[in-house]
Order: sequence, then C-alpha cells, then structure tokens
Amino acid sequence: MRVEISYKFILGFIFVVASIVILDLVVPMLGVPEEFQQIVSMGGALLVGLILGSIFSRAFTANIRRLNIAAERLGQGDLSQDIVIPSSSFPDETQDLTHSLNRVLDNLRELVGYIRTSSTRVADSAQGLSATAEQVSASSHEVAGTIEQITRGAETQAEMVEKSSRVIKEMAVSIDLVASSAGKLSRSAAETVTTAQQGGDVARETTALMKQVLEDFEENGEQIAAFGGQVQKIGKIVDVITGIAGKTNLLALNATIEAARAGEYGRGFAVVAEEIRKLADSTSESAAEITRVIESIREENQRVQNSMQQNMTEMDKGRSALNSTGSSFDAIIKDANVTQSKATSIAELAENQTAGARSMVTAIEEISRVVTDNAAATEEVSAASEEQTASMEEMAHAAQGLSALADELLERVKCFQIEEPTDEV
Amino acid sequence: MEKVLIFTLGDERYGLEVAHIQEIVESPPLFYIPRAPGHYRGALNFHGTILPVLDLPLYLGFSQAECGERVVVLPPSLGTLALAVTAIERIVPFESDSLLPVPQERLGHGYIRAALEREGDVINMLDIERLLTTLDQA
Repeated sequence: MRVEISYKFILGFIFVVASIVILDLVVPMLGVPEEFQQIVSMGGALLVGLILGSIFSRAFTANIRRLNIAAERLGQGDLSQDIVIPSSSFPDETQDLTHSLNRVLDNLRELVGYIRTSSTRVADSAQGLSATAEQVSASSHEVAGTIEQITRGAETQAEMVEKSSRVIKEMAVSIDLVASSAGKLSRSAAETVTTAQQGGDVARETTALMKQVLEDFEENGEQIAAFGGQVQKIGKIVDVITGIAGKTNLLALNATIEAARAGEYGRGFAVVAEEIRKLADSTSESAAEITRVIESIREENQRVQNSMQQNMTEMDKGRSALNSTGSSFDAIIKDANVTQSKATSIAELAENQTAGARSMVTAIEEISRVVTDNAAATEEVSAASEEQTASMEEMAHAAQGLSALADELLERVKCFQIEEPTDEV
Repeated sequence: MEKVLIFTLGDERYGLEVAHIQEIVESPPLFYIPRAPGHYRGALNFHGTILPVLDLPLYLGFSQAECGERVVVLPPSLGTLALAVTAIERIVPFESDSLLPVPQERLGHGYIRAALEREGDVINMLDIERLLTTLDQA
C-alpha cells in the first residue's frame, strides 16, 4: 500500500502523541509518588518523543539519504551501480525517484558505453585511416617518383624514337641507293652477258678463221719446203754445170798450150780454144751467178721458213689464247648471269626492305605520337598524383585530428564508470 | 808472138811461158813420197809417169799461201816435175820486147827472170830453169 511521506509523518506524529498519552496514563499505575508523577511523565514523554521521533525521521529519511548518496555518486560519474532501496510495505515517492534515477542511470550507461565504444572505434578507424593515408601518401610519393622516372624514360624514349626515326629514314635512303645500284648492276650484268656472248662468238669465229689460216700456212710451208727442194736440185744441176765449165776451161787451157806447141799450124786451133775458154768462163760466171741466186733464194727461203715457223708458233699461241679467251668469255657469261640474278634478288630484297623501312617509319611515327601522348598523360598523372598526395596529407592530418578528438571524447567519457570497479580494465 | 800462163802464188801473180808447160791437170789424190823434203806435196800418176809435185808457194817462201787443185806439168824435156800453185788464171799472149829486166845482182838467188807489165799489174816471169837447177842441186 502506497503511503506518501507526508502521511507517514502525520502518522508518526500521531503515534508519538499517542505514546505520550499512553505513558501519561501508565505512569500513575507504576506507583510513582504523585509529586514525581509529572516529572516522570514529562521525562518519559520527552524520551519517548525523542526516541520515536528519531526512529521515525530516520526511517522516513533513510531512503532519501540513500538517494542522496546515489545522486552524489552519479554526480561523480559513477554509473556502475543501480540505486537499491530496501523494499517496503509502504513505498513512497523515494521509490518513484529511485525508479526514475535508475532509468536515467540505465540511459546514461548505455549512452556512455555507446560513446566509449564508438569513440574507440572512431579512434581506431581514425588511426587506421591515418595509417592508410600515410601509406597512400607514401605510395603517392612512390608513384610520383615512378612517374618522374616514367617521364624521364618517356623523354629518353622520345629521343630514342626520334633517333630511330632518323636512322631508319637514312637507312631507307641507303636501301634505295642499294636498290638502284643493284638495278644498275643487273643491267650492267645483262649488258656484260650480251657483250661477252658477242665476244665469245667473235672469239669462236676468229678461232675458226685462225685454224683455216694455220692450215693454209702449213700448206704454204710445205709448198715452200718443196720449192726449197726444187731449188736445191737446181743448185746440184748448177754444180754439175760448174764442174763441166771448169773441165771445159781446163780443156781450153790445154788446147791453147797444144796450139802454141803446134806453132803456126795451131793458130786457128788456138782461136777456137780461146773461144771455148771464153764460153767456159761465161758459163762458169753464169753458174756462179745462179749459185749466188740459189744461195740467196735458199737463205730467203730459210728466213721465210723460220718466219713461218715463228708465225705458226705465234698463231698457235694466239689460237690457244683465243680458246682461253672463248672459255674466259663463257666464264664471264656465267659469272655475269650469276651476278645478274643476285643483283635482281638484291634489288627485290632492297625493295622489300624499302617497304619494310617505310612501314617502320610509319610505326615509329605512331610510336612517337604515342610517346608524346604518354608524356602528356604522365604529366597529368603526375599532377593528379601530387593532388592526391596533398589530399592524402590533408586526410592524414584530418584523421589525426579525428583521432585526437576521439581520444579526447574517450577521456571525457572515462570519468563515467559504467561497470563494477573490479570489471574495469 | 809468145804466150804465157798467168797463175797466182798467194796474192802475187806469176807467169810461165806456155813453151815450158806440158799440160795442166786436175790434181788427183797424191801419193806420199817417203823421206821426201817438205816442199814436195807428193807424187801423181801422169799418163803412166810418176811425177813429184813441188809445193811452189812453200818452196818460194809464201808460208801462208795454199795450193789449188790444178797442177802444172812440165814437159819431159825440161824435167819430170809438176808445180802446185795457188790458182791458175789464164793464158795470154805477150811480146818478148815488152819484158822488163829485173836487177839480178840485187835479188841474189831470185827465181824471177823478168817482169811483165799488163793492164796496170806486174807479172813476175818465173825462172823455171834456175828453179830446176836449184832443185837438182839440193
């Protein structure tokens, strides 16, 4: 049954009054002399009133004291204990107050716990965020370094590409030169083949002519040898004639001697002998002339034969030289044919190379464009990275601020004890 | 008019009267005459008669001169001898008056009887009799 405190006080006052009344009634019956009855009653009444008043007031204000202590604790931030009030058969407003305070306590505990866990989490998160931001920042720095390297690499690449382009263009020019040279070489080789074929034909014709001439020469030589033989026969005949002339001369001399011995009778004979001698001398002179002529013919013939022999040797050499000339021409034709085919293939290869070089030039130009784009993109990336780094640094800074804030909040809510002191860490 | 045979000894021209000549022959191979003096070239068979052949250039001191194939055979009335000479030229007529005398005392044992001038050349006339005498004396 609910009784309000004011009623309780009224009831207590009534009880005190009643007790005093009772005491006043009781005292005469206890044999106390009359003269002391008043004093005893008064004393008794005072005692009873003091005792009961104090008991009642104690009883009535005990809960309030408790509440006061609990409120004091609450004020100190201790939220660990619920306010406990001994149950009473006659609950009053303190009971309501206790319930309300306990509800406040519960709410506060929940709030502080929530704040505590949240701020811890926030602090953790902020620290993680800070660390992450630092990592990101470091990564960004690395990225920035890498991008710088890339930029430098890109510059080198651009230079290389330009150089490559120049070299390839030069190469293309060289290849063109090679191609035109090979073409010229091929044409020259073709001309060489034609000329060498003509030369070979001429050499073969000349060889045939030379063979004919050699045969004629041999025939001539034989004829000249035969002529020499005939001349020698003449010489022999002339020798015989010379001998006869000599004998005739001798006979004429002896006839002259005989005629002289015969004296006047031999005069005519002597004239005849003289005539014969003259004839013999003339014959002898003619024979000598013939011999000289024959000698000169023989010498001439010998010279002609020697000359012909020499000529034949020379012509033989010439013929073999012509033969080797012919084979040389054949070799030249062969070589020139090989040269032509090689030159043609060189020209074809050079043309292929030229095409390749052209596509290489195109590719290099494409690469150059890409490299330029890359450089621009890299610069953009670099700028973005720098921005990112700055943002990350800001974020790290903010995270640190957040962490400090969370720490501060935690520090603030630490004064609230929400658990038993034994459970606190 | 007399006739003279002109022949050469080396480069010199000599003459011998035709009256002192039997015949001129081509020298066949000569026989060797054992132990004969050096100026005899050998012997030849002249129509059955063996004749010694005198090397006239050698005998007269033409050391370098050679002998030809023809030899001059002297008549038997003069002596049995044939003369080998360098070369026989020809027989020419001459006048005895045209002979030029040769100073004998200056020449000593010379075998030149006289000199005959002919066509700008001088022909020594061989003194055959003296030659034969000298040969016989030797």
